[in-house]
Amino acid sequence: MDTTSPTAFVNGGLLHMHVGRKVRAVIQVTRSDVGFVMGKSADDRQLVVKGSPPVPLTSYVEVIGVAENDNSIRAEIWTNFGDSFGMSYSRLNLLDLFEPC
Amino acid sequence: MFSSSQIDASVFSGGGFMPSQPSQLANSTPSPARSRDTQGLISVTVKQISEASQSGDEKSNFVIDGVDVTNVKVVGTVFNKNVRSSDIRFHLDDGTGRVECIRWVTENLDTREMDALEDGTYVRVNGHLQSFQGKKQLSAFSVRPVTNFDEVTCHFIECIHQHLQHSKVQSQGGGLSQPQMADSSLNTPVRGASNGYQPALMNDLSIQYSADGLKGFDKLVLNYLQQPSNIGREMGVHVDELSQQLKAPMEKIKDAIEFLEKEGLVYSSIDDYHYKAVEGC
Repeated sequence: MDTTSPTAFVNGGLLHMHVGRKVRAVIQVTRSDVGFVMGKSADDRQLVVKGSPPVPLTSYVEVIGVAENDNSIRAEIWTNFGDSFGMSYSRLNLLDLFEPC
Repeated sequence: MFSSSQIDASVFSGGGFMPSQPSQLANSTPSPARSRDTQGLISVTVKQISEASQSGDEKSNFVIDGVDVTNVKVVGTVFNKNVRSSDIRFHLDDGTGRVECIRWVTENLDTREMDALEDGTYVRVNGHLQSFQGKKQLSAFSVRPVTNFDEVTCHFIECIHQHLQHSKVQSQGGGLSQPQMADSSLNTPVRGASNGYQPALMNDLSIQYSADGLKGFDKLVLNYLQQPSNIGREMGVHVDELSQQLKAPMEKIKDAIEFLEKEGLVYSSIDDYHYKAVEGC
């Protein structure tokens, strides 16, 4: 039982509160390059993640690492979250669910 | 085996979501820790496990948010996997902390299930909370890799939801005491996951539900009668006026007045149709 090093979930807007601490975030990859990945956080802000991403890289990836400043993370652990993370509801037409019978 | 007061709420309180029947639960459970004959599965974070207290030595049950808990579900990553002859041990890290898990291996199926899991894999663990030599452990009876990562988001939402439900029942069951929303176990699981969920939201909920044991409508009637302009009226307020002003049927007004009168908060003035609020309340 060890709760001494929690990693807070962050999006772009919260990253500045955890600079220098361990954070985790899920980003949608917009650009992948040697040594870093650019992506969009859940609140539509551009984040830079430094490190070596896994190959192959899926559209959504969770990174766990240290927040360097309010828009960049130095990642230590990468986890592919697939291509349809959080997207299951956008495929349904929600209006269909609420139409009167 | 099941007493009637447990059938209504506890049957559904197992995996996932609690039914929202606060007034029923408050009446049938006078004690703060609700013990149930049916064992449900509660979604928790490691931080909540680390803060769980034990409820009496005989039962060796844990209490989280005032609710007896034995079986829990945790979602996190595997670390320090250690394969031994009779069991497989690993630490589960879900971002709020690490807990040691033990998977007792009795058949090949168990071994094969665990072989597939490498360090760093996201898994969902269903298990039994235990205490061994002062340390809390999870005796896992199911360890499954997460394939659809929406499960991670969903798990944390479930933890938050169940925590709110149990805290709400606690505050209502406690009657006139203020709800204790300031506990620290809220802070770590509540993060800006995908929609910037803020702890401030919890405070709004606590204000909404800390109505000193009065139901919403009774409070409305009392508030109307407690207005300075109405307190000043010697004859009091006629129930017809209450019905008109609050736009409610006479039956509802009568029930509310009866309840408030019993509580000693209002009294009838010149006749049975005029009521005034007790001053100084």
